[in-house]
Amino acid sequence: MAEAAIALRPPLIAGDKSIAQVTHDVCAPMEARPTALWWVALLISSSFLLLGAAAIAYQISVGVGTWGLNRTVGWAFDITNFVFWIGIGHAGTLISAILFLFRQRWRTSVNRAAEAMTIFAVMCAGIFPVIHTGRPWFAYWMFPYPNTRGSLWINFRSPLVWDFFAISTYFTVSAMFWFIGMLPDLATIRDRATAKWRRKLAGLMSLGWNGSYRAWQRYEVVYLMLAGLGTPLVISVHTIVSWDFATAVLPGWHATIFPPYFVAGAIFSGMAMVLTLMIIARKLMRLEDYITLRHIDRMCKLVITTSGIVGLSYGTEFFTALYSGSSYEQFVFLNRALGPLFWGYWTMVGCNVFIPQLLWFRRVRAYVPAVFLICILVNVGMWFERFIIIVTSLSRDFIPANWFHYAPTRVEVATLLGSFGLFFTLFLLFCRFIPVIAVAEVKGVLKYGKPQLESAHE
Amino acid sequence: MSKKRTKRYWKSLKERDAAPDVLNARADEFPEGGPRQFRRRDFLKATGFTLGVAFATGCSRAPVQRAIPLLSQSEEIVPGRSLFYASTCAGCSAGCGLLAKVRDGRPIKLEGNPQHPVSRGGLCATGQANILGLYDSQRLQHPLKDGKKSSWAEIDHEIQSELANVRRDHGAVRFLSGTITSPTTRAEIREFLAGFPEAHHVVYDPLSNSALLDAHEQTHGVRVLPRFHFDKAEVIVSFDADFLGTWISPVGYTADYRAGRDLDAKRVSYHVQFEPRMSVTGSKADRRLAVAPGEMGLLLTHLAQRVARKVGAPFVSPELEASSVDSVFLEELADRLCRARGRSLILCGTNDLQQQLLSNYLNHILGNYGSTLDIDKPSLQAQGSDKELGELLAELQDGKVKALFVYGANPAFDLPGGDGLAGALRKVPLLVSFAQRVDETAALARYVLPEQHYLESWNDAEPVSGLVSVSQPTIHPLGDARSLVESIATWNGKPKPAYDLVREHWKAEVFPRQKKESNFDAFWDRAVHDGVAEVESLPIKTREFNTQLVRPILKAQRPETGAFALVLYPTVAMLDGRNAYNPWLHELPDPITKVTWDNYASISPTAAQRLGVVDGDVVRLENDGGSPEAFELPVCIQPGQQDQVIAVALGYGSKLSARFAKVGPQWLDAIISVGDKGVVGLNAAPLLRLSDGVLQYDSAQVKVSRTGRQRELASTQTHNTLTVPKKLTPPGSGARSVVQETTLAAYLKDPHAGVEDHEEKEDLWPTDHPYPGPRWGMVIDQNACTGCSSCVIACQVENNIPVVGRDEIRRNREMHWLRIDRYYSEAESGQIEVAYEPLMCQQCENAPCETVCPVLATVHSEDGLNQQVYNRCIGTRYCANNCPYKGRRFNWFNYAHDDQLQNLVLNPDVAVRSRGVMEKCTFCVQRIQEAKIEAKRRGERVSDGAVQTACQQSCPAQAIYFGDLNDPNSQVSKMMANPRRYRVLEELNVRPAVGYLTIVRNCSQEGKEESKEEHHG
Repeated sequence: MAEAAIALRPPLIAGDKSIAQVTHDVCAPMEARPTALWWVALLISSSFLLLGAAAIAYQISVGVGTWGLNRTVGWAFDITNFVFWIGIGHAGTLISAILFLFRQRWRTSVNRAAEAMTIFAVMCAGIFPVIHTGRPWFAYWMFPYPNTRGSLWINFRSPLVWDFFAISTYFTVSAMFWFIGMLPDLATIRDRATAKWRRKLAGLMSLGWNGSYRAWQRYEVVYLMLAGLGTPLVISVHTIVSWDFATAVLPGWHATIFPPYFVAGAIFSGMAMVLTLMIIARKLMRLEDYITLRHIDRMCKLVITTSGIVGLSYGTEFFTALYSGSSYEQFVFLNRALGPLFWGYWTMVGCNVFIPQLLWFRRVRAYVPAVFLICILVNVGMWFERFIIIVTSLSRDFIPANWFHYAPTRVEVATLLGSFGLFFTLFLLFCRFIPVIAVAEVKGVLKYGKPQLESAHE
Repeated sequence: MSKKRTKRYWKSLKERDAAPDVLNARADEFPEGGPRQFRRRDFLKATGFTLGVAFATGCSRAPVQRAIPLLSQSEEIVPGRSLFYASTCAGCSAGCGLLAKVRDGRPIKLEGNPQHPVSRGGLCATGQANILGLYDSQRLQHPLKDGKKSSWAEIDHEIQSELANVRRDHGAVRFLSGTITSPTTRAEIREFLAGFPEAHHVVYDPLSNSALLDAHEQTHGVRVLPRFHFDKAEVIVSFDADFLGTWISPVGYTADYRAGRDLDAKRVSYHVQFEPRMSVTGSKADRRLAVAPGEMGLLLTHLAQRVARKVGAPFVSPELEASSVDSVFLEELADRLCRARGRSLILCGTNDLQQQLLSNYLNHILGNYGSTLDIDKPSLQAQGSDKELGELLAELQDGKVKALFVYGANPAFDLPGGDGLAGALRKVPLLVSFAQRVDETAALARYVLPEQHYLESWNDAEPVSGLVSVSQPTIHPLGDARSLVESIATWNGKPKPAYDLVREHWKAEVFPRQKKESNFDAFWDRAVHDGVAEVESLPIKTREFNTQLVRPILKAQRPETGAFALVLYPTVAMLDGRNAYNPWLHELPDPITKVTWDNYASISPTAAQRLGVVDGDVVRLENDGGSPEAFELPVCIQPGQQDQVIAVALGYGSKLSARFAKVGPQWLDAIISVGDKGVVGLNAAPLLRLSDGVLQYDSAQVKVSRTGRQRELASTQTHNTLTVPKKLTPPGSGARSVVQETTLAAYLKDPHAGVEDHEEKEDLWPTDHPYPGPRWGMVIDQNACTGCSSCVIACQVENNIPVVGRDEIRRNREMHWLRIDRYYSEAESGQIEVAYEPLMCQQCENAPCETVCPVLATVHSEDGLNQQVYNRCIGTRYCANNCPYKGRRFNWFNYAHDDQLQNLVLNPDVAVRSRGVMEKCTFCVQRIQEAKIEAKRRGERVSDGAVQTACQQSCPAQAIYFGDLNDPNSQVSKMMANPRRYRVLEELNVRPAVGYLTIVRNCSQEGKEESKEEHHG
């Protein structure tokens, strides 16, 4: 009977784990010495990080002129990277908050890593609005702080100010959510720790978690509330980011479709990034039993859904342009598809709309290398989406005399690589010091402890 | 330890009995601070001494380290307020009147003098930019002897003794100069040369009009340049005379030309231009025909024949070769000319005697002499004689010249001789160069005498016979320079300051030529105040028009197949190369090509296709004579150019531009602004020809071949048409209505023709900006605008706009607040038409930039200005992205301001922006504030015309109107109400405060827009 039920609804965690085994499996990589592979990966990613730091230091000391921008194209790599990273950060909150509210219990295997990814991605994103300014040392002026400069205040009509609030709120709530969710696991680390410093540190961080009934009860309430808080943020952040463009007068930016289009795109790219990272992590950290093909399968379904929304948005943009009767608008879209950056546009469409269609096939979803490759391509495509939206609209707008192309400089490319360096460095450190899987939550979805009868009824 | 030791030990009795302090001193072998203590009295003594010495040294005159202006206050000078002094521009020989704006003892801007009869208020780009030459730290500060620093006393002594030798030996003395219009200077030179048995003054212009003067010598018996009256001409036919751009006196001509095209009075001249390349003048012509230079004479003959037949003059030209121009058109043109007899004008800009004679003949039979051409009061703006130049060069080759003085000319650079000429110049035993900078000629001279900038010295000019203009100093000379007249007076044995020389000459020569004023002092004061005095012109004896020498030109000279006719031309910025030191002018986009910091080989699109080259491909030009040097220049494809013509700008490749190696921000990927030879561009003068007694600019043939190399041109505009590329054109949409134009025929029917209407949208919201006081606005008449770009430089000077260098321009990061967009279109006739659109911040009412700035660094003012607060700006560039006009400029780097001397040109009313902040046109807010303060002081409203923006002030065509839109009687309000008025991108409802007036082309067809097809350039 039970076997039949398993066949009908396979367990979320494979390998018939016991509770102790789960704890051991997740904590083992942290307690052992880091592998050579980890060191190599850290070396590479921190080198990129250093490269990026050098590029940023050079740019700040010399000027934004070290980027390939010009008087026609005032934003390019900087804001592309910003929107790209904010988008990457989306899956974390989606998995932790929305899927939690929808009782999607499979999320437990991936939510910790996804949330970590969110936080690191938002950190990467946060760099760009600061360094893209001409005078980054005054970037704090975007913050509404009481000052002695008379009536100087911020402009609440500016989407950049909204951005500032949206992102800082998002980062704060995500970080809090992540940390609260980590409390039981930090306590586990504390209890298992052999080194004194680790025990002390984990003890401090776990806020005196004692595993009591009362602690659990409060924990669950807080977690649910934070999930409720986080849910609107998933929608709001990228909606507001999209207003950076949608409120402008520029053809190709000035579009009411942007908020849903951007949110879907963000979830799309975020899911792809989670998949990318999880596929690597489950292999390297031997977590195949926790992150199973079923997890991958479900995330793939989310990817294909959002890919559909994104594809529909691309089509709708063309329709809106046609229907608007505005020749400027129409030109912008023809120019995207057939103009000098056509290769970027078709890379975007290919990677975001056509390639993900392969995920309709169960066999593709079950073949991990294929999923991995598709996810990488989706991320490439989503980077290009932002690039195309920003650069093609700016470079050829209303007055043809202003038209000018854009090409990045070495400094800009190094800065982009540096943001990836930062992201992966942080992620590697995360893998070393924090349980990549929410141990306490995973235990909740084990077969263990559930009455046989109940599972027979399911 | 605590116990004090009281017992005393000694080594000898002497020691025991000695005084205690000596003992102590002995114990301390190396006493500090000397044996004596520093007491109160010592302190007082030292203080007294120090003060005494300080006073004593203070009595002597210390060398002046820094000039602190106005330590003793002059009566009329108020710190922070500007004074305007009338003077005369010496940027070229046109002699335009200017007003030097002097602030706290230093001139900071040059403006046109509205009362000056030559220029009538405008001032060209080069004239405006001349002020930078005053503060040029590489200007010669002291005389040079054999390239080494010397003193005036020493040099005067040596030159005088050498001249004595030359005089004794009856050696040839030659004074070589460009056109000198100054009567005082001419008189001084005359007197100087009269002291030698074998001496004369040779005048040549590198941009020569010698043939034009020679032709008048032959037809009228006097070698004069007529004064042209474009305002009186109803039909203007120009054969390659770029009179709105670079020919003789473009500012004055532009003002006249504009006056002759008054749409409100429905009096519009008809202008036909025959030219091989696209010039500024050609771009404004109602009918422009691209003609090979070799065919110009044939066309003149064709026209002369037709006109002669119609007016019944004898003009026989059998066996006339057919021309490439449609004969129906020529017939029509002849008809038009005949209808406008006495009210037409034929101009010929080529330096060819036969062609000039034909042009004179045409003007003669059309009865234009005396009406549109004045030779009784001729122009003196060009006096050069290529014949005399040729003779001098021959003498130089033969080594006959014993002493040569060179003033206002750079023969080693702008003449074709090249190294041969340099060698000949070196052979002259006494070569003296009067120069402001060590140019190519000065480098060869034994003595280089630093010439004062015209803002530092007294001088005069008589650009038109009877119009004597004063030049007065506006600053104490910045170096140990001396003006030419002072030097010559010294050598004449009568050393006097320039002021006395000019004044005395005026008293003796100019004052008697008028009768209005009886007192010389009053006359002089009046002239200095106005900058100009009108006196009787010197009498000229002309004779009956001599048709004997006028001969038809029966054949066109066409280049051999595969070869190109080479046309050498001056650009608006560089002219003959005299401005090569000036970074503003190097960075000024060419009005037509929009290229900066280079010269290039212009070819037509067809020729480019034939050669298989695109913009920026380097081609090699080989002279038919097989010139030793190969000329390699990047290609610039020029629509509207004749297909067998290759055009190269003169004036580039000067030694003076070597200084620009480090101009602009220096960073990782920066590319230097100069070319391979370390200078900007390439000197094309070696391709000039001096034959048949004239300098020939368009007679050479060249073979053109590809080199396979590339040199990207730094252009400020890369997309040249208003139509978008064909494959990207949305179905059903044509050219963008950014520029709106019509034809005269349509305009006369409906003045509103060609203006695209957009319904005024009723706003649901209360007005954001009620504008209780004035609301500043601007109207630009595109029909009047010639694209001459003087406004661009005026804005640059006024608003402290930095120079960014070639590489930054190439990266599309120029900083000019005002740019002139130039679009090509193709008319039905196949003629390439040009539209200019000066564009700056449009000061929108619903400004898209204002809402997006996160820190409120750009806000709307009460009087309608879109203000940019540099201190608050953090540089997100969102405002620039959201500007539909792209009128904003970002400081990508800290642009250099470390040349202390050059910084003196900065306008103290305008902040110098640091890196990372946005900037843009402010409608010259500093001028508005000044006028407002003045009006407030008087308790009045700001009167109309009290505020003139820099661009408006300088415009020779008076195409810019500025003022209060809330005052219904202001000129700008009336212009806003003009039916021709439209706004750029009006459909966006950003409500710009800048209006544009349509271009009205004088052509008979209506509804040109429909039939017109845009050109893809």
